[in-house]
Amino acid sequence: MGEVIVITSGKGGVGKTTTTANIGIGLALAQKKTIVIDTDLGLRNLDVVMGLENRIVYNLVDVISGGCRLKQALIRDQLYPELYLLPSAQTKDKSAISPEQMRKLLADIKDEFDYVLIDCPAGIEQGFKNAIAGAERSIVVTTPEVSAIRDADRIIGLLETSGIQKNELLINRIRVDMVRRGDMMTVEDVTEILAIDLLGVIPDDEQVVIATNQGEAVVGTDSLSGQAYERICRRILGEKVDIPDVCCPEGFLERIKHLFSGK
Amino acid sequence: MSVPSVRIAKERIVNLLVTDRLQCAPGTAEDLSRDLFHTMSKYMEIRPECFQVRITRSDIHIKYTGEKY
Repeated sequence: MGEVIVITSGKGGVGKTTTTANIGIGLALAQKKTIVIDTDLGLRNLDVVMGLENRIVYNLVDVISGGCRLKQALIRDQLYPELYLLPSAQTKDKSAISPEQMRKLLADIKDEFDYVLIDCPAGIEQGFKNAIAGAERSIVVTTPEVSAIRDADRIIGLLETSGIQKNELLINRIRVDMVRRGDMMTVEDVTEILAIDLLGVIPDDEQVVIATNQGEAVVGTDSLSGQAYERICRRILGEKVDIPDVCCPEGFLERIKHLFSGK
Repeated sequence: MSVPSVRIAKERIVNLLVTDRLQCAPGTAEDLSRDLFHTMSKYMEIRPECFQVRITRSDIHIKYTGEKY
């Protein structure tokens, strides 16, 4: 029986879609049959991040309104045979579907997949309600900034009152140099403030921009962000994987060690 | 040396979350904390330094460390 995970954040632009794509691809690389669903009606993006924008025929609204069968709308990624995309509609708005319809769709399809990942739109309105309906678990994406953390706190509260109890934090775009200088909150700061379990940390990495430019993923590459996404996927699969401590201000001893190891 | 900006960020986010969680105006949390202290002090002997109110997403915790010499 598949697990339905919603990827959400409240604030826009913190990396929900990139995270959905990379976790989806990471799980598919681990031989898990995975579907990623874009629920951002009117602002379709997940297909573009995954490089599948030219293959769309039908979309989520078509499936829900009965305009096509699910199989007709699903796009199978040729690079990752275990991965399927259900794209969003570019011309509809949030009211085109309801939470009940989402819940029914997910109940119908979750048995066919190991993981169902839902890319949630920004905000806390109808689109958010649609995206979390039927989810059993969430990944809350934030960056180490006051505005993003504030929105994440609000989202976690809404998830908890909606009955979703397994909510885990993904801290995106950490910059080690700024953390060391005291100009960016540490992983510990953010985790302590939001008080939920930490799923993982993604360093700020220009490889993400380069990959996204080309409609490719970083997971599966040996970039820092790619490795971080891979560890997150293994944690989702239930493995105990350490979260490397990349962010603490370096002590004197560490600095000496780095000096000698040449790292 | 100037103050690391993180310290300011943390102070701002902590205050923001309290007002968001209580859905109140900035400063209300302090008023609430003061009133709770007064209420409790009617029934028991407490000292301000042993009294702390913590506001989470779903609970308001009153921490009282008890008798001290």
